[in-house]
Amino acid sequence: MNENQFGDRVRHILNQGLELDSAAAERLRLARERALEHQRPEPAPALRWADNVLGSLGGWSGLSLRLLLPAALLVAGLLTLYAWQQNRQSAEIEEIDALLLTDELPIDAYLDRGFQDWLKKRAAEQ
Amino acid sequence: MASRSELEAFLIGVERRAFKQAVFAVRDQDAALDIVQDAMLRLAEKYGHRPVSELPLLFHRIVQNAIRDYFRRQKVRSLWTTLLSSLAPGRSEDDESDPLESLHAAGGAQAGEQPGDLLERTQVLEIIEEEISRLPERQRDAFLMRYWNELNVAETAQAMRCSEGSVKTHCSRAAHALASALKARGIKL
Repeated sequence: MNENQFGDRVRHILNQGLELDSAAAERLRLARERALEHQRPEPAPALRWADNVLGSLGGWSGLSLRLLLPAALLVAGLLTLYAWQQNRQSAEIEEIDALLLTDELPIDAYLDRGFQDWLKKRAAEQ
Repeated sequence: MASRSELEAFLIGVERRAFKQAVFAVRDQDAALDIVQDAMLRLAEKYGHRPVSELPLLFHRIVQNAIRDYFRRQKVRSLWTTLLSSLAPGRSEDDESDPLESLHAAGGAQAGEQPGDLLERTQVLEIIEEEISRLPERQRDAFLMRYWNELNVAETAQAMRCSEGSVKTHCSRAAHALASALKARGIKL
């Protein structure tokens, strides 16, 4: 006998045990009626659309997994990119500072108006 | 959307099986009735507007969650009971009765059925119910959903929040364990 046949036989026997005593059957009936009284009404069209979208995403639990997780990853990625760019910019400034400080030409020369005029003049000549 | 009559028909069709399934898990008839009552109310309140085709899956998931909640509450309660019982005189072992013994035996004797046949049928049913309640929780859930509630593998996997492969493994192990236990007790299906 394979698993399916065995399952069918067990189902057949278990179904014979579905008769309940009157007290239990009555409690189930009352519970059912109470549930039916609280049945959720059909939502308005706009809400129904939102609910269908949510349903297709697997309900609220599905929403948190399928939508919020990628969104969180995207935000984390953008923050990392921003931090990396900031680091790169400060590294570039540091490099320029280092070149200026180690150059043979003193920094004061760049502040000298005559020197800048001389540079412009020389550039124009070339 | 499920109409009131469709929801009612659905609940009538599943309530007894859900109750028995809860009894197999919690081994307490009153607690099982509470579980089914909560599950029916939750289904109607939260998912009463969903199409009828979605109800079986949702209902089984709700019942499973309700059973899990029951065990969580029991765990907390048993912790307090243990603490308090160490102060008060303990309950005798003889007081504890097997809840399965209080289950109503299968009725519905068909006309003309020999009393011997009825007795044998009732005994077989009791033994099968007893052995099912002894199965590990996940195996029992998978087996009952697949073969008693007739959900397919994909639906069972969705209700149990596991892979289809896991469902097949649980079902196979449950069937083998159950078959061996029944064989050991001299029952041949």
